[in-house]
Amino acid sequence: MTRCSPVRGFGLAALLLSGFAVNAAEWAGDLTPIGTQDWNAARAAHLLERAGFGGTPEEIALYAAMTPQAAVRRLVYHKTIPNDLPAFDDSGAHDPGLEPFPPSRPAATDLAKKTGESLGVKVKPAGNRRLQPVADRFFYWLRASRLETHRLAYWWANRMLVTRRPLEEKMALFWHGHFATNEEKVRDYRKMLKQLELFQDKGTGSFRELLISVAQDPAMLAFLDAAVNVKGAPNENFAREIMELFTMGVGNYTETDIREAARAFTGWNFVDLNFVISPDKHDSMVKTVLGRSGNFDGVAVIDVILAHPVTAEYIAGKIYRHFVREDISPELRKALGAKLRDANYQIAPLLETIFLSREFYSPASIGTRIKPPVELVVSTYRKMGLKEIPGVPDFNEVTEMLGQILFYPPTVAGWAHGRSWITPGLLLARGNFVYDTVFPDINFLPPDRYPGNDYQIAAVSEKLAMGLDVTTATKPDAKEMTSISMQMADRDEDFNTRLASYRGWQMAIQKVKPIPRATAQLDLAGMVRAAGCRNAQQAVDVLLARFVSVPVEAGTRARIGKFLESELGTGDLSAAGTFLEEPLRSTLHLILSLPEYQLG
Amino acid sequence: MKPTIHLSTKSWTRRDVLRACLCGAGAGALNGMPLVFSRALAADATASNRILVVLELSGGNDGLNTLVPHGDDAYYRHRPRIGIRPDKLRRIDERFGFNPGMAGFEGLYKDGRMAVVHGCGYAQPSFSHFTSMAYWHTGAPNSGEETGWVGRLADAIDTQATPNFIVNIDEAQSLAVSARNHVPVVFDDPERFGRKGLYQTRPLLDQVSDATHDANPSRRYLLEVAKSARAASQLVRDAWAKYKTPVDYGIVAVDLPKIASLIAAGMPTRLYYTSYRHNAFDTHVQQPDLHQRLLTYVSDAVAGFMKDLQRIGRADDVVMLVFSEFGRRVPENTSLGTDHGTANHMYLIGKPVKGGHYGTPPKLDALDEGDNLVFTTDFRRVYASVIDGWLGYDDTRKLLSGNFQTFPIFG
Repeated sequence: MTRCSPVRGFGLAALLLSGFAVNAAEWAGDLTPIGTQDWNAARAAHLLERAGFGGTPEEIALYAAMTPQAAVRRLVYHKTIPNDLPAFDDSGAHDPGLEPFPPSRPAATDLAKKTGESLGVKVKPAGNRRLQPVADRFFYWLRASRLETHRLAYWWANRMLVTRRPLEEKMALFWHGHFATNEEKVRDYRKMLKQLELFQDKGTGSFRELLISVAQDPAMLAFLDAAVNVKGAPNENFAREIMELFTMGVGNYTETDIREAARAFTGWNFVDLNFVISPDKHDSMVKTVLGRSGNFDGVAVIDVILAHPVTAEYIAGKIYRHFVREDISPELRKALGAKLRDANYQIAPLLETIFLSREFYSPASIGTRIKPPVELVVSTYRKMGLKEIPGVPDFNEVTEMLGQILFYPPTVAGWAHGRSWITPGLLLARGNFVYDTVFPDINFLPPDRYPGNDYQIAAVSEKLAMGLDVTTATKPDAKEMTSISMQMADRDEDFNTRLASYRGWQMAIQKVKPIPRATAQLDLAGMVRAAGCRNAQQAVDVLLARFVSVPVEAGTRARIGKFLESELGTGDLSAAGTFLEEPLRSTLHLILSLPEYQLG
Repeated sequence: MKPTIHLSTKSWTRRDVLRACLCGAGAGALNGMPLVFSRALAADATASNRILVVLELSGGNDGLNTLVPHGDDAYYRHRPRIGIRPDKLRRIDERFGFNPGMAGFEGLYKDGRMAVVHGCGYAQPSFSHFTSMAYWHTGAPNSGEETGWVGRLADAIDTQATPNFIVNIDEAQSLAVSARNHVPVVFDDPERFGRKGLYQTRPLLDQVSDATHDANPSRRYLLEVAKSARAASQLVRDAWAKYKTPVDYGIVAVDLPKIASLIAAGMPTRLYYTSYRHNAFDTHVQQPDLHQRLLTYVSDAVAGFMKDLQRIGRADDVVMLVFSEFGRRVPENTSLGTDHGTANHMYLIGKPVKGGHYGTPPKLDALDEGDNLVFTTDFRRVYASVIDGWLGYDDTRKLLSGNFQTFPIFG
């Protein structure tokens, strides 16, 4: 008799949950490793949800067949697993003339006015709008870097989807939120790539090494205004965020500590993609930070911070709250902090302790975590069995709509977590993402080619093509213009900003490669067939087990079963074999729109 | 229909309140919302048509370069490079002038529709954006309050927990609107605030299980939010689809047209919360151009909003509160910017406001040891003023965990 289940030995969500032993209720707060007798498919599935981007039934079976120690070690000490994924395919949109990129459009055009050249472009000797080529080039790079960053996000998401080292990407994503850096300010996708590679490379290694590398990372230096932190005039932005957000948390240092630490980081800067220290800008006098005095440089201050017990607790606590659950007792926080410090700030042993602990497998930890948007989207695609991130819907538009676009964290504090991922608007948007995946929009316009309504680029383009003069073509179609901001645009006769916006876009799409736009290659009919399902309810149960991490109510399960049966016009799948796919897609949309689907 | 009762807050009796309540309920019914009618009748004593809109300027707005104390030489001494010269300012009197980009605020002030409260802050100020903003959100500085002041206010004045009572337009829910009994309606783009789904899937998509007793708190939360989404999304999308305005809100409208559309549609919402997002006002470096642009956007948008309220006949019903989590340090830094500071202005704007200066401007020649302004007004006095004076709920002592003297800004 054919058993309808995704893989042998791995049952429905309800059965799956019953796989958690009753005594597990007492495991909360207990860091003791679970025993081999406690290991099963349900717990392997939980591990893959948290330490990776969710498991397919095949992966879950693979991990369930190991000991818990071996399963966790495979994820945590992943560098031994070969991972021959393609490198990022750079469009080559950057050229040396763009360096150093001016901080603003006015800075670019002012420089051109003063020196006759900016961004590698000379001012026109005579005629109308003499600075136009400079303004065009400024906007070119803004657009090109942004579009290339969107390609970079695709590249990264594809790694999350197909990697054999899921925790490597998961930790990189964690550090991206922790050391939050936004391309909007950095304005250079190459720096964002370099930073991502740092997170992938060092994400489970030594926190000290990681922190020093981040503090010397061009993207971070650009993001936190390192260039203006110089001897005699320290800028506190960098030192404040290092202490408040990266290492200690608020309340564990004074304002004086920040000012003193800022002095230690003076002179740290970047040139293009390289870290540099300018000795003449470095303050080499004695500083006092956290009660210790010395002739500190940045690295020495980092060591002072790391020596403070609260730092290990802060980092360990944050990792725990990200991977396990939001509420952490002070005792557990202390215990985990001590582990991290005793391991000389090596991240991997801490992760190993957490992922093996009874605490991690206690009912309070299972199926209670709201998946962040990027995890939701990638794990959905993984469980759908996709081999690449679909081009329709656009990955970056989807994740932005859900509140988490890669390389664009909202503030230096990164993304807020837990319940803040869910609002009424965002919950509906999560369901709509599934709809757009199973029923791709036939009116889809690729956002990396089509400018939308931004800056009226599309309208300007049409008007210019119809022969209108620049002034007329770039006039906004405003109704009754009373606001100062609308009137202020374009008062400078040396160039026209709206024209530059349009030209910049046009130049950018000629350089930056397009994102491939395949839809999701989904085969749900094949999926339920392979699982041996014979009737509609079995198909629904297989989809529920494969996708949803918490049990759904019996009534809901039955209603969805009935829905599929009525869509098929029969309960018998073999009679519906030739038209199975579309009803299954509607059914999957229903299942993945359940509020419960957000949990992992 | 507008509320016609303007009582001084101190004589706000229960009977008056009930009268106001009937009035508000009538307006709701005329707008075709019998649900609101019955709720309002049964609701708390303070129900009325009065609406509060809170606008947050995130990142720590530089108050000294927003409303510049041009009459004070100390300002120019502290800011030799980024201080704004008197001839550039939009002067409102011999002491103060608005940033050159703020024609909108200048107009509102001169029309008597803007109250400026000076020196707002709190003791032992935090210089962290996130901590200080949390203090302003909770209304509980240096303490661990879990709900927001707007959320607690909703729980207090609407004990029935009317659906759609709080609207928060943002990507994520603000701590300020976090409540015990209300589920705030939070969305960003009204056009996308709807569920996609084929006709035959609709009944199932709209079904939400009851999870009151579920052991999994995250699941309980998700189901609550699902209910709120179901109740609000259609109303919001319809309101937005119907809304057409000739008013120019400027280049960045900070979501105020969305709020205008909901007010115009007669949503039962009394508390709106929105923000200029993403720490935009954190101007450490090269501040002047950037800051002026940000202020122009805000000022254009607020002036546009007030004009739009006039157009739809609701200018008498709406008051707006504008704040930031801190001001900036008095002396400029060496990067033509400013670092995190302390006390700042708060603004109350709208037709019901008695315009003018309130509170005491902090002294620019008596800074604290960190070169910061010493606050003169606990910001919760302004919360209390609006809660009591505008929304007519006088038990602010409990709501704000302290006794905060109100300013006579209304009526």
